[in-house]
Amino acid sequence: MVFLKRMIDVFTLGSPRPMRRLIAYYVVVAILTTGLLYFFPVADRLMFSGERLDQITQTPGILQEGPSGGQFQPADVGLSPRLELAISTGLILIGTLVLMLPVSWVYMSIRRTKGHNQSIVQTLIILPIVVAGIVLIVRNSLALAFSLAGVVAAVRFRTTLSDARDIVFVFLAIAVGFAAGVQVITVAALLSVIFNFVLLLSWRYDFGRNVLDPSATAQWAEPLGELADKKTAGEVPDRDLVVALTPKHVEALEERFDRVRALIGPDGKKPRFNSVLEITADDIGAAQKAVEPVLDQEVKRWTLDEVVTNDGKPSELYYLMRMRKSTTRDELLTAVRSAAGNLIQSAEVSLGAALVEDGAK
Amino acid sequence: MPVLVLSLCLVTLGCRPGGKQAGRPDGDSSLLAGRAARVDSALASSDSGQGGDKPIARWVLPRHLAEISGLALTPDGRLFAHNDEMGRVVELDYRRGVVLKHFLLGNAPVRADFEGITVAGQRLFLLASDGRLFEFKEGADGARVPYTVHDTRLGHECEFEGVAYDPAIEALLLACKNVYKKSLVGSLVIYRWALGAGNSEKLPPLSIPLERVIGSNRWKGLHPSDITIDPRNGHYVLVSAQEEALIELTPSGEVVSARSLPGGHAHTEGVAITKDGILIISDEAGKSAAAVTLYRRR
Repeated sequence: MVFLKRMIDVFTLGSPRPMRRLIAYYVVVAILTTGLLYFFPVADRLMFSGERLDQITQTPGILQEGPSGGQFQPADVGLSPRLELAISTGLILIGTLVLMLPVSWVYMSIRRTKGHNQSIVQTLIILPIVVAGIVLIVRNSLALAFSLAGVVAAVRFRTTLSDARDIVFVFLAIAVGFAAGVQVITVAALLSVIFNFVLLLSWRYDFGRNVLDPSATAQWAEPLGELADKKTAGEVPDRDLVVALTPKHVEALEERFDRVRALIGPDGKKPRFNSVLEITADDIGAAQKAVEPVLDQEVKRWTLDEVVTNDGKPSELYYLMRMRKSTTRDELLTAVRSAAGNLIQSAEVSLGAALVEDGAK
Repeated sequence: MPVLVLSLCLVTLGCRPGGKQAGRPDGDSSLLAGRAARVDSALASSDSGQGGDKPIARWVLPRHLAEISGLALTPDGRLFAHNDEMGRVVELDYRRGVVLKHFLLGNAPVRADFEGITVAGQRLFLLASDGRLFEFKEGADGARVPYTVHDTRLGHECEFEGVAYDPAIEALLLACKNVYKKSLVGSLVIYRWALGAGNSEKLPPLSIPLERVIGSNRWKGLHPSDITIDPRNGHYVLVSAQEEALIELTPSGEVVSARSLPGGHAHTEGVAITKDGILIISDEAGKSAAAVTLYRRR
């Protein structure tokens, strides 16, 4: 494992980006597999021939057609059946493990923000090995298949997976195990590679995000506005808040509102900040250098609120701003984009409630 | 989980036509029809003088038939083969490359050094290298058939390697691979075992000096692997794995031809000739996979 990690580090120049490390991993595995096949050609038949698949799917009576001249079949491996079974089983199970390791890494990567389930990670490694073993054992025997089902029926467990994607991971584990069990590791490898890259790309570009989803501002503006509005405050009676909150919650909210008050400024005066600029970029340092001079020129006041760094997908910058009356949201975005160019992936401005009210007046 | 495992198992098995008779698959009919058409076409082009000694078809046998030994044709033209070490007989469709059925001798697996098979009317015989003959009748697919053992008591005279039925004399021909009897050493020996209505009996062997058989070939000896009868002229045809030889004799022992087998036969174990002149040769697995090869016999 250490050797593999070092090899990956060599290939990725020590980059922590998951995409690069994944590519490096598969390159290392491909090189090792090529070496294995070069020095031990028998491994090709034992792992990649699909011999088992042929046995299972082909009508048993139909014979393979041989070429009409010369030697008609590659040389037999010359291994005893038991040794061959042991070697092929070992290679298949190791191959399954090698192909599922990156899947578990991808699972852990994309679950990092929400927290991943360790049991699923371990299941992803173990399940395909078990499935491959089952397929190897059952072979073509109906009796064995039912016996095995009967034995396993004695073991009961039920698990509810919280995320549909977790189920897909489990299905992938089964598919890889199945493919390995019928000696078509090529299919298992392609499943692993394509699954991982599709998943990483969809995570990197946030594929499937509903663009009509309300922004944070819009999501919270209305309920918080209602609570703060003296006229409509009665619509959320205090008793509901008493029921909903504990003293700890109230204290936490109090602290939080104090921080927000410090940012917005005291009542009776214009708020210090009334909008948020969100920038996503691969190189946040370069993006900052490009964006901040624009803010100096285009907005009355600004401060960098938060930097969120992500591995493998663009990092995020959040600026609190007080917009000038003379500058519109679109003008600001145009200025930012023209100054930063390709340095940023996206720029978005969320207008604060005070600014929206001013605009309405 | 049990459901998952059961599903896996059933999917694994799902593609197998469990109740369907092996070798008669509906879904593969076009493939098999194509094969039969190609064999017919190759036969036709061979008849027109093209192709030379090129095989008209070759079927690679699965691992459980790696030790295929003898071949035999029934009077209605069906081909049987058998395994070397176990009393297991398979029926092959040699025109389409299909294993049609298999059956076993005895309820408990019969193990012997089986070297040849032949069909005499409704009776089938397996020959062991020590001269024992196992008589049985054809069984259904997957059946276990009863058998009777006849000991020819010739095991001390010869190591047998092939058997054929000569209907002209109603006798089994037992080809001798290695001759132990001093008076017969240096000869190609074919024992004859008459199949009477009741008891079987030994007939005088056919013995031909090896030099007459070998002729101008550079073989150091001759060790037949199997023997068959050409149904078109009643000649005896023998093959030898060691010398890669194909010999044709008249029933009286005249050598008609002695030549090398066409290329690509490393381990020839069986031979059969159909009524329409197709030479069928079986090779057990060695450096190559086991196979059945078809040639046009001229």
